[in-house]
Amino acid sequence: MAQPPPSSSTPFISVRGLTRKIGWQEILRGLDLDVQKGETLMLIGPSGEGKSVLLKHLIGLMKPDSGTIVVNGTNMTGLRERQMAPIRKQIGILFQNAALFDSLTVEQNVGFPLVEGGIRDRKEIEQRVHEALEVVELAQHKDKMPVNLSGGMRKRVGIARAIVPRPQCVLYDEPTAGLDPIVSDVIDQMILRLQKRYGVTSIVVTHDMKSVFKIADRVAMLKRGVIHFLGTPEELRNSPDPEVQDFIEGRSGVKG
Amino acid sequence: MVRTCLMDLLCLPGRLFLNFLIYMGQLAALLRELGFAIKSGVWRMRLVAQQIVSIGYGSQVVVIVTGAFTGAVFTAQTYFKFKDFGVETGVGAIVSVAMCRELGPVLAGLMVTGRVGAAMAAEIGTMKVTEQIDALRALGVHPVDYLMLPRFFAMLISMPLLIAESITFGLAASYCVVVFGFGVPSAWFWQHVVEHTNEQDIIYGMIKGLIFGILITVISCHQGLMASDGAVGVGIGTTRAVVYSSLALLICNFFLSILLNYFFPLGTAM
Repeated sequence: MAQPPPSSSTPFISVRGLTRKIGWQEILRGLDLDVQKGETLMLIGPSGEGKSVLLKHLIGLMKPDSGTIVVNGTNMTGLRERQMAPIRKQIGILFQNAALFDSLTVEQNVGFPLVEGGIRDRKEIEQRVHEALEVVELAQHKDKMPVNLSGGMRKRVGIARAIVPRPQCVLYDEPTAGLDPIVSDVIDQMILRLQKRYGVTSIVVTHDMKSVFKIADRVAMLKRGVIHFLGTPEELRNSPDPEVQDFIEGRSGVKG
Repeated sequence: MVRTCLMDLLCLPGRLFLNFLIYMGQLAALLRELGFAIKSGVWRMRLVAQQIVSIGYGSQVVVIVTGAFTGAVFTAQTYFKFKDFGVETGVGAIVSVAMCRELGPVLAGLMVTGRVGAAMAAEIGTMKVTEQIDALRALGVHPVDYLMLPRFFAMLISMPLLIAESITFGLAASYCVVVFGFGVPSAWFWQHVVEHTNEQDIIYGMIKGLIFGILITVISCHQGLMASDGAVGVGIGTTRAVVYSSLALLICNFFLSILLNYFFPLGTAM
């Protein structure tokens, strides 16, 4: 069925009543979320609450038990695997463990979306791969195999692979986890730059509260399978909710 | 307690049958996806070439050695018995037909299952548990198109050639054993081989090889794509790929032999 074209006021991603069980555990319990075009939404919350599961639903890697996910005007929920390809090409994703193809070099990994996207001009591919690797400061490691990279470097290659096809939206699953503060700042600045220069929509799962206050337009806190808090970083900081305050201050309540 | 055990026992055949149906359904769905992948027309010839090297070129030694020694031992045993009847010069005919119709395809198929099927399941399974398959899907590339289709084409090209090698080296070994080992005149050996082996026997073996190749690819890729639970899951998938492919190959071989014999009857001269 033809989808109506998205208007400027239509959110880029709209999630309604999303539920998902894994085994017996109910991970998402009727989650609602709108992500506006061009915004940077940071997704925070305790570990194991389903942040990565939500990201995988947004790109169709997991199917919900119920609810709808509309991406750029297209309802993802009823689509078959092959029908999702055009939508997926609008969205880049960085996996938590980078998920690089271990039989390909760094350069081939980053160039993969371009080659598979139908670009045949070798020079253009080389140039765009070089640019993407420059952004994550790994241009000199292009001939290495993923197995020879550190965890942080793998993650940065994953980011380069996610951004190289110039997608409209990028989903980052803990982009700065395991990186030193300087490289973390490089990644944060890159997300900001992509937003400002190209209007890229970003959804960032993170536990790095420094990054949250540095680059977020809005922050969503996922807890007990729903969005527990949604607002600007300032609203997050001033939230009277003790659970929110405990999370941003890192207070477990456990006495040593 | 006894009642529960009894109920479990009674349910077991039904559960096994249901699991078998589910498994067959999954294989059918995978074959359907393979059909879509072929239809898409994006065949990634570079990957096909890589897989031909890995599957075909890489399996040559094991297939040649297996074919040669099977031919040799089959020749020796046949010779010992035939000698009692004074027809030892006819060994070549038996070995040749057996190698073409049964031993060549089946043994090459089993060797390829052990070497290539296991590698397919392990490689794809590792990609599955390390989210590389998810990464492919997220980049808009269907895993069947990228991972299974090149292996399928490579198998279709490699299997008949490997079987041809197996038969050739089996016959060569047979020749060496009979002529150099037992002193049967070379001319007699070749006379019987040429007289009793025809093109139909060779086509028969090649058709079997093609079907075995399809079986090995579909079963092994399925196990890889269904792998879960980390390294243990990959290990289980790899073991299953080899066991299921070998069993499927042997069972299928029986029915193929019956079916193909209608089209290419044994002992019919061209």
